[in-house]
Amino acid sequence: MNTFVSRFAPSSSVIPNSRGILADEEEEFSDLTWGSHAGFGNLGTKGIPTFEVPHLADPSAFLRMHTDDYADPNCRIKIQHGTTTLAFRFKGGIIVAVDSRATAGSYIASGTVKKVIEINPYLLGTMAGGAADCQYWETYLGIQCRLHELRNRERISVAAASKYLSNLVYSYKGMGLSMGTMICGWDKTGPALFYVDSDGTRLKGDIFSVGSGSTYAYGVLDQGYHWDLTDGEAQELGRRSIYAAGHRDAYSGNTINLYHVKEEGWDFIGNYDVTKMHYDGPGNVLGATGGGYGYEIRAAGRSASDADAIDTSA
Amino acid sequence: MFLTRSEYDRGVNTFSPEGRLFQVEYAIEAIKLGSTTVGIRTPTGVVLGVEKRVQSPLLESSSIEKIMEIDTHLGCAMSGLTADARTMIDHARVTSQNHAFTFDEKIKVESVTQAVCDLALRFGESMENEDAMMSRPFGVALLIAGIDELGPQLYHTDPSGTFVKYEAKAIGSGSEAAQAELQDKYHKSMEIKDAQILTLRVLKQVMEEKLDQHNVQLAQVTVERGFEILSDAQLKEAIDAM
Repeated sequence: MNTFVSRFAPSSSVIPNSRGILADEEEEFSDLTWGSHAGFGNLGTKGIPTFEVPHLADPSAFLRMHTDDYADPNCRIKIQHGTTTLAFRFKGGIIVAVDSRATAGSYIASGTVKKVIEINPYLLGTMAGGAADCQYWETYLGIQCRLHELRNRERISVAAASKYLSNLVYSYKGMGLSMGTMICGWDKTGPALFYVDSDGTRLKGDIFSVGSGSTYAYGVLDQGYHWDLTDGEAQELGRRSIYAAGHRDAYSGNTINLYHVKEEGWDFIGNYDVTKMHYDGPGNVLGATGGGYGYEIRAAGRSASDADAIDTSA
Repeated sequence: MFLTRSEYDRGVNTFSPEGRLFQVEYAIEAIKLGSTTVGIRTPTGVVLGVEKRVQSPLLESSSIEKIMEIDTHLGCAMSGLTADARTMIDHARVTSQNHAFTFDEKIKVESVTQAVCDLALRFGESMENEDAMMSRPFGVALLIAGIDELGPQLYHTDPSGTFVKYEAKAIGSGSEAAQAELQDKYHKSMEIKDAQILTLRVLKQVMEEKLDQHNVQLAQVTVERGFEILSDAQLKEAIDAM
């Protein structure tokens, strides 16, 4: 951490590169001269990539001032905050379910975001917070996992992969990274689930939900969860939980993406429209109990939206 | 060359008056002490084969690692000081992963070969506070096999950083006889099975011991399956087919 701070110390106007060599004209033999990175400058051969940060005394204060992270909600750079993501461990593996809405303030920027990041065929990461931060760093994590596999002829454990990520984001602490992610996979120890966020927190657990809609998701998840869920029940629980958040949280919604991590790797189960879930339900899929998640339950009999029922009872 | 040897052997980066870099040439000589390694390109894939010298009956032949994976579509066989190859192959792996990260596509066989060769001449007296310099040239040659949009390819690299594309190439102690045999028997439209058998035949010819599944290793890069080291069963099958 100290080395990291000193690397971006305000006194220096020239940004050192990954080896601490000044990227200046006087430096005749930089890595790029030798072409060993084949022209990809910012990714060092080892360790973490380094970035050109704003040439200012305090880059992180600059970033804080110009993003809506802490101070000014009207500023130009918006970071995606609204999200619902969840993952839980059960006897059949791990269910990962997310919504697909991207918001910038009150504006819905997209309804088709892939918030599950497929790190490799047996590791998944979820996206909450800064979309770019999650996408970039989790893909970067994928590289490191692959290199671990090539060097050690063994797949990386979920614990090690998540620890790598948490150490990485910790080294950028206070510089404006924003991510809340769940790293899910199956390794020698069985299904494993870790929560990692940009503060550097790393938690092992059975149930996590992250994002503005997480409280709604937890509500459904907690009442329906137990370890011995069948695959179908678990998938249905994941779907219903995200639906609940998509329904109540303005910053979550559009569609649900559902994944199931099994021993032989993850499976994409499906994409489900939240509105369609409300009225019709997921249709004839594994675990579905038939009918919509919201409408019929409310409208049956006495609801204000069921005009006929009110007429007869009046 | 041995007449002028003493003087121009001192500095690894000093040219002799005839314009030669002796240390680099000696490094190339070092490869000729290594075990024989063969690579053959076919229209559907590339086959790599190495001889594993099992010096002692107590030695676990499975621990000799002369063919390594660079990425799913790239493999590499070596001859010479195999310890030096670890640096090069790790560099190739990192370069390949970084390429995939940056461009979301598989790296080309030539590009990865180029990246490895860029390393080859980074030896010599290090400049002030240059930390990553090596004291001598690599003493290893590589056969890099892979498949990209240009189809299956085979490259040979040596300690001078030169790389050349080959249809079929042999390196190591038995390379001269092996290369002559390859020139004789190779044809462009080989099946992958034929290439496996030719690789084994060529190795058998130059090996001192009797060839069996413990003292050779075969690997291949194919369009369908990418890089794979042949399992004991597959290897045995190929040997029996020979």
